[in-house]
Amino acid sequence: MSADEVGVMTRTSESTDRAGERELELYFGPQHLGMVGNFSITLKVRGDRIVEATANPGYLHRGFEKLMEYRTWMQNVPLVCRVNVVEPDSMEMIYTMGVEKLAGIEVPERAQYIRSICLELAHVGSHLFGLWAYSNMLGFDTPAQWAMYHRDLVLDLFEELTGGRVYHIYLWPGGVRRDFPEGFKDRIVETLHSIGGCVPDYDSTFFNNRLFHQRAHGVAKISQERAKALGATGQVLRATGMRYDIRKVEPYAAYDQVDWEVPTREEGDAYSRVWVIRDEMIESVHMIFKLLDAMPDGEVYNRVPNPFKWEIPPGETYVRCESSRGELGLYMVSDGGDKPYRVHFRTPSYPHGLTILEELLKGASIADVGNTMISLYVVAPEIDR
Amino acid sequence: MTASLRKGLESTFKDVEVRGSEDGRLSVLAPKDSIPVILRHLRENGLDHLALLSCVDWQQRGTLEVVYILSAYMQNDTDHTSDQRLHVFLRTHLPRENPELPSAIAVFENAEPYEREIHELFGVHFVGHPRLIPLFLEREYRIPPFRKDFDTRKYAEETFDAIPPVDK
Repeated sequence: MSADEVGVMTRTSESTDRAGERELELYFGPQHLGMVGNFSITLKVRGDRIVEATANPGYLHRGFEKLMEYRTWMQNVPLVCRVNVVEPDSMEMIYTMGVEKLAGIEVPERAQYIRSICLELAHVGSHLFGLWAYSNMLGFDTPAQWAMYHRDLVLDLFEELTGGRVYHIYLWPGGVRRDFPEGFKDRIVETLHSIGGCVPDYDSTFFNNRLFHQRAHGVAKISQERAKALGATGQVLRATGMRYDIRKVEPYAAYDQVDWEVPTREEGDAYSRVWVIRDEMIESVHMIFKLLDAMPDGEVYNRVPNPFKWEIPPGETYVRCESSRGELGLYMVSDGGDKPYRVHFRTPSYPHGLTILEELLKGASIADVGNTMISLYVVAPEIDR
Repeated sequence: MTASLRKGLESTFKDVEVRGSEDGRLSVLAPKDSIPVILRHLRENGLDHLALLSCVDWQQRGTLEVVYILSAYMQNDTDHTSDQRLHVFLRTHLPRENPELPSAIAVFENAEPYEREIHELFGVHFVGHPRLIPLFLEREYRIPPFRKDFDTRKYAEETFDAIPPVDK
C-alpha cells in the first residue's frame, strides 16, 4: 500500500458539476502513515485535484515562549532544545547566541570549533532523517532504512560526547559543557567515512533513480520571486538559485575559518530541493573533516556569573543561524532581570509549512501532498513551538 | 545602505524616531497608522524579507509593542554583501485595551500566519486580514494567553479542576 493514500472523508458539499464530481473535504490529518510530525492539512478536493488546502498547526503547541519567561537564563538551556525535535542543537545554539549577545559574553576559540562540528553533525543527522521521511513517502523504503541506520551512528557519536542521543544540552552560554573525550576525533572520522562510503549506493538507489525523477521533477515548483515574497529561506530558496546561507552571510561559530561552498539548483521543484539536501549533506561531512583538522587547543568554556543570581542588562536582540531547514532566528528581550522577558523563535518551517504549502497545494494532485510537504522540509514542532 | 536608509526615513516621514546601533541594527519607532507606508518604503529600498513579526507585552507601561524585523535577500547568482547583515526593527506601541493595527499582508504576504498568531496570543486586531482565526489554540480565553497578566496556574485550576472527578 502506498504511503500517500489520504485519510477519512468527512462531509460532502452539495455542489456537483456536470462530470459528476463532488467537492469533498479530506483530512491529511495528524494520524496518517505519511505524516511526519503532528500536523494536519485540510484539503478541499474535486476529483483528484486539490481546490484549496488549509494547514492546521497547533497539535504540538507547548507554549515554550511563555514557559521560558518563568525560568532563569540557565534553566532555559535544557528546555530550549525541545522546540525542534529533529535537530535540537540548532535551538541550543540560537538561544546561546542570543544570551551571549545580550550579556556580552565571549566564547573561546576551541569552543567555536566544537560548536561548528556539533552543528554540522546535527545537520547530517537531520538531513538523514529528512531523507528517511521523504523516501518513505515516495515508497522507496530501502534507502529510508539505510538513512535511519546511518543517523543512528551519528546519534551514537552524540551519546559518547554529551550523554544524550537526541537532546544534548551541550551548548550553553560561555562555550560548551565539556571537551572531546580521548580518541573522539578518530571516531568521528571513522563514522563519517562509513556513512560517506555508502553515498554511491544512495545515489544509485534513490537520487539517480528514474522513478524518483518522474515522481518529483516539476512537482511543487516555486519560482524565486514567489519564494522571496512568501518568506522562504533554506533549501526552498537555494533550490531556486539564490546562494543565501546564514553561515556565509553572517558567519557565527567557526564557519568563516573553513573553505566551503553553498550548493544550489535552478528549477525550484521538489527534485531540486532534495538534490540540494543531498549536496549539503556531503558538504557538511567535508566541512567536519576540515574543522577537525583546523581545531586549536585551549579552553572550551568561559565562566558565566552564578546561574542562580545571573541578571542580564536590559536590551533586545535578533540573532540568526542556519539550521538544516533554513534561517532560524531568535528575538529576545531582557528587562534586566534573571529571566527572559520575551522570547520569540523565528523558525524556518513557519513560512514553509503554512504559507508556501497552502500555495503550492492549490491545483496539485492528492498523491503529491506528502511529496510537497516533505520536500519543503517542514518540521512540525518548529511551527507550533 | 544603513546611512542612506536612515536619511531616507528621516526625510520622508516626519514622526519616526530612528536609532542605529553598531552591529548593523536600525531601530525605527513609528505611530501605528504609518506602519504600512513605512513598510512599503523599506521594501522598495531593498529590505524584502520580513523575518519576524513579534509582539512584546510591556505591562508596566501599559502598551503592547509590535515589532517587524526586516532584512534583505540577495540578488540571484551574486555573492552576499554587507547589505545582508542589516536588520531593521520597525516598532510601534499600541494601547493594551482594544489594540488595533493595519495588516501588513499587502506589503509582505508572509505576514499572514504571524498576524494570526499575535491576534490569538496577545489580542491585537489586524484590520484587513482575510482570515483572523486562531492558528494554534482551540479554546476561548478571557485574557490572551501570552499577556503578562495571564496566570497559567490559575487558568488551569479554574478550567480543569472545576471538572468534578469521575466518582463524584
